[in-house]
Amino acid sequence: MEALPQTLFFGVLRSGLYALTALGLAISLGVIGVVNFAHGEFVMLGAYIGFWVYLLLSGPLDLGPAVSPLVIALGIPLSAGALFVLGRGVFRFTLRPLLSRPELDQMLLTFGMAILLQNLVSIVLSPQAQDASLGWRFELLPLPGGAISVTYARISAFAVSMALVAATYVLLARTRLGKQMRAVAQNRLGAMVVGIPVDQVYEVAFGLSLALAAAAGVTLVFQTQVSPFLGLSTILKAFSIVVLAGLGNLFGVVWASLLLGVSEQVISQYVPDGSALRDGLFFLLIFVVLLARPGGLGRAR
Amino acid sequence: MSALLEAHGLVRRFRGLAAVDGLSFSVEEGQSLAIIGPNGAGKTTAFNLVSGLLAPNAGRITFRGRDVTGVRAHERCRMGLGRTFQVVQPFAELDVLGNVMVGALFGGGAASVAGARAEALRLCDMVGLGPKALWPVGGLTVPDRKRLELARALATKPALLLLDEVMEGLTPAEEREAVGLLHRIRADGVTLLLIEHVMSTVRDLSDRVLVMDYGKPIAEGTYAEVSRDPNVIAAYLGSEEATA
Amino acid sequence: MRRELVAWLAFIAIAALLPLALASDPYLMLLANVMLMFMALALSWDVVARTGQLSLAHGAFFGLGAYTVAIGHKYAALPPLAGLAVAGVVGAIVAVALGGVTLRLRGIYFAIATLAFGEVLRTVALQVPDVTGGTIGISMPPLFGGDRVASYYLAGAIFLLALALSLGVRYTRAHYAVTAIRTNEAVAAVMGVPVVLTKVLTFVTAAVIATLAGAFYMPFITHTDPHDAFEVSRSVAALAFPIFGGIYTSVGPVIGTVVLRSLEEYLRVTPPWKEGYQVVYGAVIVLAVLFMPRGLVGLASRMRARLSRRPEARIPILGSGR
Repeated sequence: MEALPQTLFFGVLRSGLYALTALGLAISLGVIGVVNFAHGEFVMLGAYIGFWVYLLLSGPLDLGPAVSPLVIALGIPLSAGALFVLGRGVFRFTLRPLLSRPELDQMLLTFGMAILLQNLVSIVLSPQAQDASLGWRFELLPLPGGAISVTYARISAFAVSMALVAATYVLLARTRLGKQMRAVAQNRLGAMVVGIPVDQVYEVAFGLSLALAAAAGVTLVFQTQVSPFLGLSTILKAFSIVVLAGLGNLFGVVWASLLLGVSEQVISQYVPDGSALRDGLFFLLIFVVLLARPGGLGRAR
Repeated sequence: MSALLEAHGLVRRFRGLAAVDGLSFSVEEGQSLAIIGPNGAGKTTAFNLVSGLLAPNAGRITFRGRDVTGVRAHERCRMGLGRTFQVVQPFAELDVLGNVMVGALFGGGAASVAGARAEALRLCDMVGLGPKALWPVGGLTVPDRKRLELARALATKPALLLLDEVMEGLTPAEEREAVGLLHRIRADGVTLLLIEHVMSTVRDLSDRVLVMDYGKPIAEGTYAEVSRDPNVIAAYLGSEEATA
Repeated sequence: MRRELVAWLAFIAIAALLPLALASDPYLMLLANVMLMFMALALSWDVVARTGQLSLAHGAFFGLGAYTVAIGHKYAALPPLAGLAVAGVVGAIVAVALGGVTLRLRGIYFAIATLAFGEVLRTVALQVPDVTGGTIGISMPPLFGGDRVASYYLAGAIFLLALALSLGVRYTRAHYAVTAIRTNEAVAAVMGVPVVLTKVLTFVTAAVIATLAGAFYMPFITHTDPHDAFEVSRSVAALAFPIFGGIYTSVGPVIGTVVLRSLEEYLRVTPPWKEGYQVVYGAVIVLAVLFMPRGLVGLASRMRARLSRRPEARIPILGSGR
């Protein structure tokens, strides 16, 4: 049991990343009602942008352990900004015309985008996974006590993720835009009746969703290999969290991420053959949650 | 003999707000009932509970003597509970005839596709859509869509037909035609349960009236009795509703 | 209906005679086998789509079929045909479990669950190397001793099953049920359509066919591993082919398979596409959904309508069974 504090701590750190990814997905699902199967691919794009920033910075300069926070500090605004704009464009030209069409068409579109993006990146860049320099990944933060150790990378990724999640919550709770988004998420018709420009809200919400995805991608740079195909596992985890928190429950995403992040670590640490189960955990979770739901018929929208 | 339809103590909440809050009523065979009330009174929710699209948080529903509270919507339809929708929702990829055939094949239990087609054609003629039977639904006018909705519901061979604001969007002449059609349907043995705002229709078609407000019944009786009830008058004057 | 059935009979007759022309070219015979297999997969995906559901698990059932046959051979010395039957049963059971839970809910839950399902199967296959051979994979002797003509007819049988399902759903009362369900489940239910049962039945029969296709694939290819058996690209192909050819039809998935799968053969060996050839599928899906929602078939019928200048013919109406 000596590893328990470390395991729990790790779980909490990972849940920060998951929360960021899942929140973006929860927004597009909750506010617009659209299933964005390509969400993981936008995380991937953010990761590649972060990786470029890393290459730019680490080339000429020798920054030491400060590299990772710097990459994150610069990479996030860049990738989030770029993908916010991209998101609005993608929404306006592809998703908006589809909103009145059956759900199947919307799901097919985003799934097609996912396949398109993965393979486009794989062709244009390289299908191989790439690593930001290993040295900085493992550089440990000097911490007292010795019960817990953590790399600069992980702790800065966590701090940034939580800051962004918190900022998004403030946006949703306090700003006019945020209130409009929540109103639309609850009742589209009602929102239109009171004069909320629903189409614009959708567009901004989608842009925001992609911006969060991109930010999450940047935090991944020092934690895992960057590959064109990292979207799939990302999106499955994000979906499980959103399903667990409950569709449309934007504020519950943090708790669900925490639950998932910690149990993932605990299982892989303490259950024999844990890492096999860990991946299946997400599916099992989705399945069990869906089983427990009171079966309802008909389109909720 | 028990009533055709009985609702006991129905409650249905949405995020803490009770749309239907202790609704009980019954419909006797051959005695049509109209449910009226201001907007937001919970009438359509009541219909959704009765037809099986929503499950109640509390309460019971019996249809033809059987407890159907847990029975699914399509089963209730097969038992003889038919329904139209306020906003007409045809199946866009089927033509008029195809739409009615859905009702005939499943709710109405037709033995074959050919049999269902014949029955559907008969119903289209009955409601006045005969010449347009092979039209795509996109080309239909509002009254035609209502006719389609009716034919489709009739194809399910209902003993009790739930009509949700059938008269909405019709001109007075179209209303008169619709009332005539509904009288014929009543004469064929179908009991009607209507939600209606047009009071002349309520007067013409229903034997009894139930008034709802805030999810509860506030008055019940004949049209004459109910229109004199001070509670009813207060409920209507309190909102900007009531087209009489 | 009669016209379509006659056309299919002609197609089947030609396909049955095809080996006479191709038997001398092993590459073309291989391709013909693969084509039939994918046609079956595409047809079965299309049937599920008719209820408005997006199945991303067709590739997973394919892999499940392949591994069932391989494992059956390894542990019980099951010959391929017996393995095929067992695989079919396994596929049915799994589909009932998966669909029974998720098809009661909104379509997005089903889609997500099918996506996750594929990943789980791949992980399981990797994590029990004693049974499945892990990353190295699993092998079995070639089907019919490597006779590609004999295997072609077996693939043809599976294709015929798929075609029968597809045409059956079109020309029986099932057509009305699925069309109603995908348009509006609530209204369909209120009209007496048993929504959940219909969705589950279509999913299970389609999944069985996908499983059979995979069960054919295993002895045909003699070796597979988790990355090959559970390739996402197969789930992608299963939906790209019908969407491109014409969704909700029987001819669409077949045409889509022929065109796109042939294109894939070319792309796989041509730089810069190579392994990234799926980018074409992604683009095809996106463009088709946006601009050509009924695929090639829809395009053809729109052009025919424009030429005949009948306004009511412009909308691709599935009608009342004309």
